Amino acid sequence: MTLRFPFTVRSPLPPVFASSLHRCLSIPSPSSSSSPTPLPSSDRRPPLFLRPPTFAASRSDLHDFRRWAESLALAAGPRISASDGGPDAALLRREIAWLVEDATVAAASESGVGEELRLRVELEELYRLWRARIEERRPFQYIVGCEHWRDLVLVVKEGVLIPRPETEMVVDLVAEVEGFEKGLWADLGTGSGAIAVGIGRMLQEGGRVFATDLSPVALEVARLNVERYELKDKIELRRGSWFEPLRDVEGKLTGLVSNPPYIPSSHVPGLQAEVGQHEPKLALDGGEEGMDHLLHLCEGSASALKSGGFFAFETNGDEQSEFIADLMSIKFGNFFHNIKLIPDFAGIQRFVTGFRR
Amino acid sequence: MMARPLLRWASFTSLHTSSRLPFVLLPRTLNPRAPSLAFSAAASNYLHLSDDQLMAQCDMDTYKASGPGGQHRNKRESAVRLSHRPTGIVAQAVEERSQHKNRAMALTRLRTLLALKVRKAIDLDGYAPPSELLQILPAKSTIRGKDVGPQIGPNNPKFALGMQALLDLIFAVEGSVSETAKILGYIVYGSFLLSTGALSRLILSDDSLRVTVNELRTSKGMRPLR
Ligand SMILES: C[S@@+](CC[C@H](N)C(=O)[O-])C[C@H]1O[C@@H](n2cnc3c(N)ncnc32)[C@H](O)[C@@H]1O
Repeated sequence: MTLRFPFTVRSPLPPVFASSLHRCLSIPSPSSSSSPTPLPSSDRRPPLFLRPPTFAASRSDLHDFRRWAESLALAAGPRISASDGGPDAALLRREIAWLVEDATVAAASESGVGEELRLRVELEELYRLWRARIEERRPFQYIVGCEHWRDLVLVVKEGVLIPRPETEMVVDLVAEVEGFEKGLWADLGTGSGAIAVGIGRMLQEGGRVFATDLSPVALEVARLNVERYELKDKIELRRGSWFEPLRDVEGKLTGLVSNPPYIPSSHVPGLQAEVGQHEPKLALDGGEEGMDHLLHLCEGSASALKSGGFFAFETNGDEQSEFIADLMSIKFGNFFHNIKLIPDFAGIQRFVTGFRR
Repeated sequence: MMARPLLRWASFTSLHTSSRLPFVLLPRTLNPRAPSLAFSAAASNYLHLSDDQLMAQCDMDTYKASGPGGQHRNKRESAVRLSHRPTGIVAQAVEERSQHKNRAMALTRLRTLLALKVRKAIDLDGYAPPSELLQILPAKSTIRGKDVGPQIGPNNPKFALGMQALLDLIFAVEGSVSETAKILGYIVYGSFLLSTGALSRLILSDDSLRVTVNELRTSKGMRPLR
């Protein structure tokens, strides 16, 4: 499969990352970026923090940008959060700080380091980006092209779900499984590859993750993240629907994790704009009750897992989790045991875990 | 268990902040069921706990927005609040970009708060300054001796330990900086090698340390350090 991220590699990556990117990506000549042709569509460009700092601005220019961006945030925040539970002014102001962090080279707040700042994007573009954030409700993470998740910085773009803070815990659940380090794991519906990369980094010799998705865009982004973290020898990306690409490892898996689409279809139109209007439906819509995919995963797990194998599913919370837990312990009780509901940090029963008998 | 509603994030204003000071919430009244903070014997040990051990003494929760969270939300708050059960001290972090990092930041803040708020009784007769305290003393001060290593500043995670020991001593002499300098100088070398001025500068170099010392001094009717 070919990668469609024309990254420039003169980036703030550690040298190992940079060299692995060199190996894996075809790199357009950097001179092309100085041509006056219109900028490529945003999803074709590397994340902000990986672009070379070829632009400059004065501190006072940047200060003006912040003042302007904050005034927009203060004016729009209350309306946005009241209308559909979107970001309030405080969160938007944090995003401005993060945007500046990704767009500049040195900490912009340091004073007395000189008047010029190096930017990874033109100052005018910064204005355009923030306007799109407020007016189009374009998710902040698509604007900067990354999301910080656990201790990772994951590349994301339109077409792939932005990994959620709740999901960070799936990696911790895996880390508690005895002998996980050398096991064969599957992350079904890997999206940006967040969970797979989180697991992959903890694995030892012999350990492996099969990360699957139906979406080619998701796999493309996942591949970038796998490469950035030098996990090509630990994570294998496969395209296909749920268990379909895993036939060759049927009954051999040490563990199976998934955060499948679980939003009930009827809720999709009412989602906050950042989610409903910008993130892929394929990643969100779980059918009428939201459990179409979860049920399919429950049914397939018995044959996918080896004896003693572990599963962890993220759900829409409380009711879905209870339903899934009941299903696994009653209807499929012959196959599974030790079924648990695990709350997220907001106290919602977010995960169901258990073991293959 | 449902999360309790947290503070109002709206009060957050600063975009660039020092990692050590802000966003800490102190309980108005400390946990009534918790052992008294004043001169608790176990207290000084909290800072010696590993991150995991300290986490085990904490309840963690996140800001609970209304609604189901998860896939429904873009960036549901990744803010984290830690409540340290034994002392009732609460630390939180909102400004990091992942929940994981906010948790680490909240833990760092908790350590600072424990250093600032939890006092250990000192017996001045047999007093010997712990090495953590020697490490934060001014570099030029000959007190420190050769084996102590370079001076540790407020940005070093170990600073909290030294700060805690220094505060223990300052509280034991009821806020007198000259007395503290005298004791440190006298005990270590048998002469006064740490000037009051140098010690004051150290105290003033860290905002939270300064505030704590000045609160004590004000309560004892002394002039705040400036
Ligand atoms: C909620 S997202 C989770 C993404 C990622 N694991 C995470 O936690 O951030 C669900 C993912 O499942 C994928 N997906 C949807 N239907 C699928 C199917 N039939 N087979 C495999 N993956 C599917 C979507 O493309 C999307 O990437």
